[in-house]
Amino acid sequence: MANAPEDVKLKRQAEEDAGALADSRTGTTKFLTGLGAAAHALKMADIDVASSYPIRPYTGLMMMLSMMAARGELDLEFVHGEGEHAQLGIAHGASSAGARALTGSSGVGVMYAMEVYSPISGGRCPLQMVIADRTLDPPGDFGSEHTDALSTRDQGWLLGWAHTPQEVFDNTLMFYRIGEDPRVYLPQMNCQDGYFLSHIPMKVVVPTQEEVDAFLPPLQFPDALDPENPLGHGPQLFPGQGHILEASRVNAMMGAFPVIDEVVNDFNSRFGTSYDPFVEQYKCADAEYVLFISGGHAYTAKFAVDHMREKGMKIGLVRTRWVRPWPTDYLADILTKFKAVGVVETNNSFGAARQCGILTLEVATTLYQAPKKPVLTAFMAGLGGEVIRLDEFYYMGDVLKDAAAKGSTERTAYWIGFHNV
Amino acid sequence: MKERYKKYTIEIPEEMSIPFAGIVESPKPNGEQPLMLTGGWRIYRPVVDSEKCVMCKSCVLACPDATVLLVDGGNKIGFNLDYCKGCGLCTWACPVNAIDRVPELDFEDGVPFQDALFLLPHVEALYADD
Repeated sequence: MANAPEDVKLKRQAEEDAGALADSRTGTTKFLTGLGAAAHALKMADIDVASSYPIRPYTGLMMMLSMMAARGELDLEFVHGEGEHAQLGIAHGASSAGARALTGSSGVGVMYAMEVYSPISGGRCPLQMVIADRTLDPPGDFGSEHTDALSTRDQGWLLGWAHTPQEVFDNTLMFYRIGEDPRVYLPQMNCQDGYFLSHIPMKVVVPTQEEVDAFLPPLQFPDALDPENPLGHGPQLFPGQGHILEASRVNAMMGAFPVIDEVVNDFNSRFGTSYDPFVEQYKCADAEYVLFISGGHAYTAKFAVDHMREKGMKIGLVRTRWVRPWPTDYLADILTKFKAVGVVETNNSFGAARQCGILTLEVATTLYQAPKKPVLTAFMAGLGGEVIRLDEFYYMGDVLKDAAAKGSTERTAYWIGFHNV
Repeated sequence: MKERYKKYTIEIPEEMSIPFAGIVESPKPNGEQPLMLTGGWRIYRPVVDSEKCVMCKSCVLACPDATVLLVDGGNKIGFNLDYCKGCGLCTWACPVNAIDRVPELDFEDGVPFQDALFLLPHVEALYADD
């Protein structure tokens, strides 16, 4: 690689930082898309039931799983719903019966199942839903906006984003173990950007089945449905007990923090990875201003940060791996170290405070009580499921550099494609 | 880590505790299951006129919750009022109009909507002073 052009070397560096080629990982290296990585991980997790309904781009996952089941590689009950609402209901029932259940969707499909999310998390069913984000209609682009999965953020599910196929593979295993922990018992949304992750293959190191089995023991769900011992599932309570049930659901969500910490560190020690349980910091050690991001565009953003650093800009990148539970204190510690924070939103919340996206609302709340606050602004980018180009990240970098120097920004939210032309 | 996020958890007093995920035992036929009584949903109570009743048992089949019982050695119709939600399907099914719907609060033991059937201990304590 000595004679390779500088940007090729940088690319390699970014891939190593992303854990894709980390030397300490052992296993078979495969060339997988995000969906392929999820399918391989689900096969190794030995899921019992998968319920499907087709919608691009996530649907490739179900194609792969059904092929695995048809070839006899995976002992799987594969059920096809008549819509996403039924699809989630099937997964709910399977999980209530103690099966390791899997479902998934994209874009408008995620929305069609809206009613069923709260009953599943209220019933504490630890099933997993693989989401390949898709822009909502209109225009319903094949590409990725996070508004679909983020719209379910108040429904009591663990919600986290990967940024490489390798991370999708690892998250699939980690999410099941976190959600199935007796201190948590919550459903998990394992999100990846549609197309950018779901359909672009990258190198994924796949460990052995024995290693996965040791990391992820079979699910033990208490009071699983059983004809021999009939039970009333689906919170059989009175409205007068509603606040108690909701408090216990909050406690399960907040109780997930130490479990996430424990599980991710255990994963790191077993598989030689270096994931931070909650938040990845890229080149933040001496940074004065940072991009805050979630999901697959972080991959491009890392190259942009590298290029901007070459020009002497003190920029870094903070990537949250979780949206629910939101790592409040953890992020407050990190973000207050900088002079300016720019939240890269690949979602929209029409009429939100400061007309920013959903993540900025969370970041602003995180920082509100902090004694020393950075300047905060939002970058509305990747809307319509478009890519965020390097030059657009450079523009964000310039805005942040200016904000750090002045202590203020001109706008509360910069709409990429309007101000940067 | 654990201590740090402790401030966000809500302490639930033991007397207010509920079963995990609100999972309860299933009601058994004509049996009791004290955690999910549904009689408190009733606005109208079914009352059968034994003089008119011809014991065709259409109401037994019509009840979606199996709360119409055969009492008095199988010679009369009765109701399990712990679970009767007052839907009125028995009234509708009766061919001789022997079942009437009487406002719940006309009865001395009438149940105000979702109140008396389930009182949490701490709520009960609030009422005790009156």
